[in-house]
Amino acid sequence: MADGIEEAANSVSNLSVTNPPAEEAPSKNALKKELKKKKKEEENRLKDEEKKKKAAAMPQSQKPSSADDEDMDPTQYYENRLKVLASVKAAGGNPYPHKFQASMTITEYIEKYRVLNEGDHLKDVEVNIAGRIMNKRTSSSKLFFYDLYGGGLKVQVMADARESDMDEVEFAKYHSGVKRGDIVGICGYPGKSKRGELSIFPKRFTVLSPCLHMMPRQKAGPGIENASVKKNEGKMASDVWVPGMTRNPETYILKDQETRYRQRYLDLMLNHEVRQIFKTRAKIINYIRDFLNKLDFLEVETPMMNMIAGGAAAKPFVTHHNELNMKLFMRIAPELYLKELVVGGLDRVYEIGKQFRNEGIDLTHNPEFTTCEFYMAFADYNDLMALTEEMLSGMVRSLTGGYKIKYHANGVDKDPIEIDFTPPFRRIDMIEGLETMANLSIPKDLSSEAANKYLLDACVKFDVKCPPPQTTTRLLDKLVGHFLEETCVNPTFIINHPEIMSPLAKWHRSKPGLTERFELFVNKHEVCNAYTELNDPVVQRQRFAEQLKDRQSGDDEAMALDETFCTALEYGLPPTGGWGLGVDRLAMLFTDSQNIKEVLLFPAMKPQDEPLTKAESMENKKIMSGIILVSLLKDCLYIHFREASKDRENTLLICTIVEIWILEKTRLASAQIFWPRLISY
Amino acid sequence: MDALRVWRASSHFIGFASRAACAAATSRASVSVRIRCCSSSSAASAAAAAELPSTTVAPANPGRRGRNSSSTSDRESIRAIRLKKANSFPSQNSSFFSYEESLLPLEIDDELVIGSSGCARQVAFLSLLFFARVEELRSKGHEPYAYKWTRSHTACQLQDIYSHLANGEECKEDLVSIAGRIIARRAFGKLAFLTLRDDSGTIQLYCEKEILEDQFEQLKTFVDIGDIVGARGSMKKMEKGELSVCVKNFEILTKSLLPLPDKYHGLTDVDKRYRQRYVDMIANHEVADVFRIRAKIVSEIRKTMESLGFIEVETPVLQGAAGGAEARPFVTYHNSLGRNLYLRIATELHLKRMLVGGLEKVFEIGRIFRNEGISTRHNPEFTTIEMYEAYSDYQSMMNMAEEIVTQCALVVHGNLDIDYQGVQISLQRPWRRETMHNLVKEATGIDFDKFKNNLEAAKGVARGILESRSENNDSHLVETCPSVGHVLNEIFETIVEPTLVQPTFVLDYPIEISPLAKPHRRQKGLTERFELYICGREIANAFSELTDPVDQRSRFEEQIKQHNDKRATLVSNSKYVEGENTFDDYSYEVSLDEDFLTSLEYGMPPASGMGLGIDRLVMLLTNSASIRDVIAFPVLKIQH
Repeated sequence: MADGIEEAANSVSNLSVTNPPAEEAPSKNALKKELKKKKKEEENRLKDEEKKKKAAAMPQSQKPSSADDEDMDPTQYYENRLKVLASVKAAGGNPYPHKFQASMTITEYIEKYRVLNEGDHLKDVEVNIAGRIMNKRTSSSKLFFYDLYGGGLKVQVMADARESDMDEVEFAKYHSGVKRGDIVGICGYPGKSKRGELSIFPKRFTVLSPCLHMMPRQKAGPGIENASVKKNEGKMASDVWVPGMTRNPETYILKDQETRYRQRYLDLMLNHEVRQIFKTRAKIINYIRDFLNKLDFLEVETPMMNMIAGGAAAKPFVTHHNELNMKLFMRIAPELYLKELVVGGLDRVYEIGKQFRNEGIDLTHNPEFTTCEFYMAFADYNDLMALTEEMLSGMVRSLTGGYKIKYHANGVDKDPIEIDFTPPFRRIDMIEGLETMANLSIPKDLSSEAANKYLLDACVKFDVKCPPPQTTTRLLDKLVGHFLEETCVNPTFIINHPEIMSPLAKWHRSKPGLTERFELFVNKHEVCNAYTELNDPVVQRQRFAEQLKDRQSGDDEAMALDETFCTALEYGLPPTGGWGLGVDRLAMLFTDSQNIKEVLLFPAMKPQDEPLTKAESMENKKIMSGIILVSLLKDCLYIHFREASKDRENTLLICTIVEIWILEKTRLASAQIFWPRLISY
Repeated sequence: MDALRVWRASSHFIGFASRAACAAATSRASVSVRIRCCSSSSAASAAAAAELPSTTVAPANPGRRGRNSSSTSDRESIRAIRLKKANSFPSQNSSFFSYEESLLPLEIDDELVIGSSGCARQVAFLSLLFFARVEELRSKGHEPYAYKWTRSHTACQLQDIYSHLANGEECKEDLVSIAGRIIARRAFGKLAFLTLRDDSGTIQLYCEKEILEDQFEQLKTFVDIGDIVGARGSMKKMEKGELSVCVKNFEILTKSLLPLPDKYHGLTDVDKRYRQRYVDMIANHEVADVFRIRAKIVSEIRKTMESLGFIEVETPVLQGAAGGAEARPFVTYHNSLGRNLYLRIATELHLKRMLVGGLEKVFEIGRIFRNEGISTRHNPEFTTIEMYEAYSDYQSMMNMAEEIVTQCALVVHGNLDIDYQGVQISLQRPWRRETMHNLVKEATGIDFDKFKNNLEAAKGVARGILESRSENNDSHLVETCPSVGHVLNEIFETIVEPTLVQPTFVLDYPIEISPLAKPHRRQKGLTERFELYICGREIANAFSELTDPVDQRSRFEEQIKQHNDKRATLVSNSKYVEGENTFDDYSYEVSLDEDFLTSLEYGMPPASGMGLGIDRLVMLLTNSASIRDVIAFPVLKIQH
């Protein structure tokens, strides 16, 4: 802390030392002597002031001189700003000008003028730049310093009354109304201070869009803020974050996660690294697109709303088309449609797009997420493994320049681990691997009761938890998660999954009971999933039927049968390799993000406690208690009937009918919040 | 023509078998059944009377051939035949196969949706047949579903590389490998010609018994039209000039179980074309071209945007409040959050938040969802690009629109004069720019400026215009208009819109119908907004963005009030009138996006933004009449 303050003090004193020489520069250009004199006086005064301030600031926490009204209560600040706005409008002014013609961006400005020598002032050049003011320092009523940000970079603005085309009184008045956070347009000339700070000296200074709220500040005091601001000063890319480097959101100016995710624009404004995350994300997607386009893949768009949610095992979102009076599901995977296109003769297709799953929100799950799926006719999973290696290692190389990335796998307070994407990646055969690692000998016929029992015992033995329904598939999944996935830190293919786990993959050409499938794990998380596609329509129908069995035994994540898709297979799907990749997971790895929300601009958040009107909250309570009551009732019924009849499907049906009946009786079904719940049964 | 068809039908091996007959056929392995199905009734009777070639077939009972029941059994019969075919002996009459080409066009039945019970039976039935066949095939060492085929060239590449060969010349030293679907076959005693098509084009396969030896019989026996085959061989140009692959060996990669529709007669059923897009694509190769062009257009747009320094972002589809446009949203429910979510109706409000956050040039190409009717111009989900640029205004967006559309047209057509459904469109820049008021004045002679805020006067005049101009009486449309701006818009949409065939920017919309646009810098009551019309269709919509949070809030509130008023009147009317449907149109809730307003309060730089409908652009550039032609899997009504 003490260090911080000292650093801050130094940086302030630096300012006071370096600014005067910057002021001196115009004198070289042989200005009037009088002016020079004036300036000298002012410089001295400035120096004194700064010194005084520095002395005064030392014991207390420092505040920039513009901070006078920032002690205000935020609401009051906001109301004041609104009043000012209203008064400008009343006077016939427009606080929101229509257009400011920027001649270059701040990035371009820095690129162009960073080569200036210290002390250079290009008085006869006129440039227009615009950006947001993130810091304001008042030297006197005639001299204001601002930090102007654009494109994640900073330029210092030195607004001097003598350079302005306003008179001094007007100037002072205008600039006192400029607040931190305002968006301004500046017409002026470039120059560099003696200390080497690239600046712009405005002739005209216009507020383009006022910021009505108080900008959040880093709580620790301005010292650290200055330090972090310094990082981004006029230099290009020297210590700017690049993909593959570690990141620590704890050091951000805006730390509060809720605010960062809910008001992403604040996050982007204040934490400059955040912009790089989303640029990296865009680069990842572009890399994939280029990679596939070069291989002659065709990008297509398939529906996001389907009559049947197929292609994966997950709970879908349900919605309703009013005019067609049709129930629609949001897609959980584009797989079936893309394969239909391969049947149609598009030999290489891909789609990068959103998928939707009606599941809980956690560190790696968001209800909507982005995937890339591609299908390649006449290729098998061996080809796809080679392609995956080529794509991912190439991507890491193009993003970071090497094959290794750093990642805080154990939290930001622990040392980061290194993940090595050098091809080829390790390969583990799933069942063989599991048998060696856990010293098991799993029965060959996995669909048998014996296998289920064996795996159940294994789970108990190794204390691997598997909540019901304990189908063989789920048990295996848990065991693999426990023994194999844990070892996959560097990219690793787990290959040859059993048939029961992969309803859409083709049986293995030489290993009975297994499929030609692989999953790629990086840092213990699944990133890719691919297989030689099952193209035998008869076998496909059987597999769907087996899934249906799982569904009936309570695993509502088993897949549904899609008749159109099966018909398409009967027309003949060429031997095809299909591949899917989770874009968000990949983006997390390359941006050292432990939370998926870091790589989504607007992640799904729990609703904030919105103040409800009394009537609304009463209504909600009624509905909620209704739901609880009804579902309790239904559960009772279900248990009762199941005991009696042993017929699960019918029991469920009867219970649902009873539930609907009760709901109708209680008129709860009319509450809109209700119907999707019903459908989910 | 009909007579010809009947003749052709009866002169070929056309039989018809019920499901039972087919099942019976399986038990008699030596029985060979040829069945074609045709939904035209003349052919049906012909089919019933058809002769059978070698042995016997269970005679079909025409009386049982109800339209619905027949469809399933027909299809199954065909499948059965296909399955059987692999089992039949090579010694069969070789001329048998040469008829394949001239067989009647197959019109696959309309009723594709099979009830769940039917489906279960089908599975059982099929597996019965199939197990036997798979056993036999595999015992012979044939895998009907191969794993992989390494091809050296595509058909198109071969056509290019070997185009120099003289007629009759063979290039023996090059061994090429190719794979694709068989779309035509002609087989003679010791020769067979197959036409193979892959993604890129077609090429002929020349098969000779002397070269293929044992494989030749296999080829004649097993390979059907529709099968996917891999072949290796050398290149030869036939005497007649047809470039061919002289097949040295081949492999069936995937056996097709259903017959392909005939290229010239098949798939005229529009509905079916959309429901089974893959069949459409196999039958009409041009269909796939639309999607190739679509990909090209999207990629060109992306390239243009990126070269201008725009960054592509993804904003959420599922939102707590659907804003940014006026449309009925889809509602869904998130189980674990326990709340309703709306599918986005525009990407606007989230992209503008990005401008606030300091990303100065952003765009998103993405899916938008609107819970509205379907038509040749509307699909519930469609793709748009929305772009936002800080420090620019709607004038610069007009240039952007011109740039994007002309770039895409050049990539697709190579020039700027295009034909759309028989109309010549010139995309030569600059495009006409005219204000909405002037266009209406030009078409009707009425200057809406003069009404100021006199709503009743405007309505009166508008009613007069609509009654005299439009065929169906649209004058009721103006009755519910809450402002002069709405009346003007109504007149514009009914009278002027269809006349805007050549590209036209319609400028300066009234403020009442543009809740997100900035007020015009000179004209009171108007906004800095334009819509781009080509062929009477709105292609793009853009404005200088409203950045004033106070103004924005009051505009939103006004919009909600209008919506609620409309709903209220419709509710009260619907008590007396049977207006259920219109009432339904407004029965959804519109809510205020507080988060968005807060972000504006943090200050958004002056900016302009544009939304451009990609589907409509693709329609224009591919000369497609319906939006369903440019969407691979459009939403269709439920089949009954």
